[in-house]
Amino acid sequence: MTIATKKLSLTINDQAVGPIDVPEAMMMQDFLYEYLNLTASRMGCGQGICHACTIIVEKDDGALEETRTCIMGAHWFAGKKVRTVEGHAKRDATGAIVALSPVQQAFIEHFSFQCGYCTPGFVTGATVLMDQLKRNPIRREELEPTIVEALDRHICRCSGYVRYLEAVRDLILQTPGLVKA
Amino acid sequence: MLKKLLLVAAALVILVGLFAGCVFIGLFEKSVVAKDIEQPLSVDQMKALAERGAYVAVAADCYACHTAKDGAPWAGGLPFATPFGTLYATNISPDKENGIGSWTRAEFHRAVRDGIGRRGHLFPAMPYASYRNMTPEDVDAVYAYLMTRAPMNVPNKPAELTFPFNIRQGLTFWNLFNLPGSAASADAARSETWNRGRYLTDALAHCGECHTPRNLLMGMRQDAYLQGALLEGVVAPDITKAGLTQMGFEPSVLASFMKSGISNQGAMANQMFEVVHFSTQYMSRDDLNALSAYLFDLDKMPDSTIPPEPPKPVAIASDVAASAKTTYVAVCSGCHGADGQGIPHVVVPLTTNTSLRLSSGRNLIRAVLDGIPAQHFPGLERMQPMPGFKTLLTDQQVADLANWLRASWGGQEPKVTLDDVRQTRLDN
Repeated sequence: MTIATKKLSLTINDQAVGPIDVPEAMMMQDFLYEYLNLTASRMGCGQGICHACTIIVEKDDGALEETRTCIMGAHWFAGKKVRTVEGHAKRDATGAIVALSPVQQAFIEHFSFQCGYCTPGFVTGATVLMDQLKRNPIRREELEPTIVEALDRHICRCSGYVRYLEAVRDLILQTPGLVKA
Repeated sequence: MLKKLLLVAAALVILVGLFAGCVFIGLFEKSVVAKDIEQPLSVDQMKALAERGAYVAVAADCYACHTAKDGAPWAGGLPFATPFGTLYATNISPDKENGIGSWTRAEFHRAVRDGIGRRGHLFPAMPYASYRNMTPEDVDAVYAYLMTRAPMNVPNKPAELTFPFNIRQGLTFWNLFNLPGSAASADAARSETWNRGRYLTDALAHCGECHTPRNLLMGMRQDAYLQGALLEGVVAPDITKAGLTQMGFEPSVLASFMKSGISNQGAMANQMFEVVHFSTQYMSRDDLNALSAYLFDLDKMPDSTIPPEPPKPVAIASDVAASAKTTYVAVCSGCHGADGQGIPHVVVPLTTNTSLRLSSGRNLIRAVLDGIPAQHFPGLERMQPMPGFKTLLTDQQVADLANWLRASWGGQEPKVTLDDVRQTRLDN
């Protein structure tokens, strides 16, 4: 028995990938792990609940969207531009990391995570939230509920949520243009 | 000649006017509340009735409507959006000022069975056309039970209806056409179980209020009894024997489904989830069996039944199948499985799912577009949320997917159109 495959091409972290023969029914996360060795997005529940596996899809208008990879087929991403957690930090020409992304840096400064398993999902979710606020700034009093609404779906089982919330809140307040005066 | 005609016309107008006037003042209204109900119940009688009343109130699902989301118990406030405006369920806690604390036994009976409350006619969002069939003993029991609840000092919200629907007395016309003159009596030719099932279906659980389509006057169409209706953008399916069989139910499975909310046929969703949550999960095994036996038109639950034959796949155009399979693998199979088998206790199977077998594709389209929220079922069962795909899939992708799923596993002709998907999006 052979597994039916299909050619897949997409852009991952600004690099063109493919065409590669990928099993038709393969989930995106398996493709990232097994074909590209991109293992930062985490397999948690495998049922689309915990959101540890999310990555970013960059839409045509530049807006960012958070997407689960454990329940979405690899071929769903054909032709799309995606960003995994490996693609958040700034790198130099050799590929070495020169600076973490502001969200990553804020999580470290706030000791937001303990075991770190859920962290890639939180980094992804918070990055998408920052992008949304850049496009549609909110009033200060809406900030906490907005963060909770955006990140509530991410499950953390050890350090709790408060330090994630504080990190994201502080970062948003320090970043000009996200909160209306 | 012309004068004669005019006279006849005038006489007719006067007659119709007179008739309408008589209807309006309630001359044709018929109470099913007997005179002896005027006699108040004694304290001991109330005490003795209250316990059974708790069960009757659960079977009649009073709480679900008379308690707003996160509101005080029995204090009303749940909104009902109707084509004529918004209604709010009333406070039926025994609060003397806002609830029914000072209502007499007879006033309560008249509200429940005649649709006439202290402040005039009730709107038929209160299913008095169904509760009319309740026995006086059961109404007494509910009355006694409600009077044991904590009084809630929560004011009623006035109805926000447009003219002329805001005139309560105008309900006399609705009642004339839609309220049976008398309560249904037992069918001596059928078993006790069947009759109990009918009583549960028609009177207490008031199934027809959602599952029987409504006429222009919004009354239940008795010619299409329990044959399914569209409400709040979803199909309340046909629950006659034919409809249940088409969905893949057999009597014993239906009875368990009403208890647990989950079976191979899927997980209860939309308003039926609440019905299970607040009402049917607490029904006795005997009552659930009676309900099921009646819906399958059986005098008793069979010792064993054979599940209905699975539907035969229907042929579908190859381009539709190709489009649908691509979508299915990309966004459905991760949870529902490559072959639609689902994951026990986590995700419902699609191969045996009722939404694929209904004559209308509406519920499937609705689920694909909007998803289904996480739900806790009786016992330890729970279902994770199903994501909605309205921003991810085009109308064409949804239509192809719905047609392919329904044709392959539901045995339904691929007749879902782009318009159906568009309409379902708009109805949201």
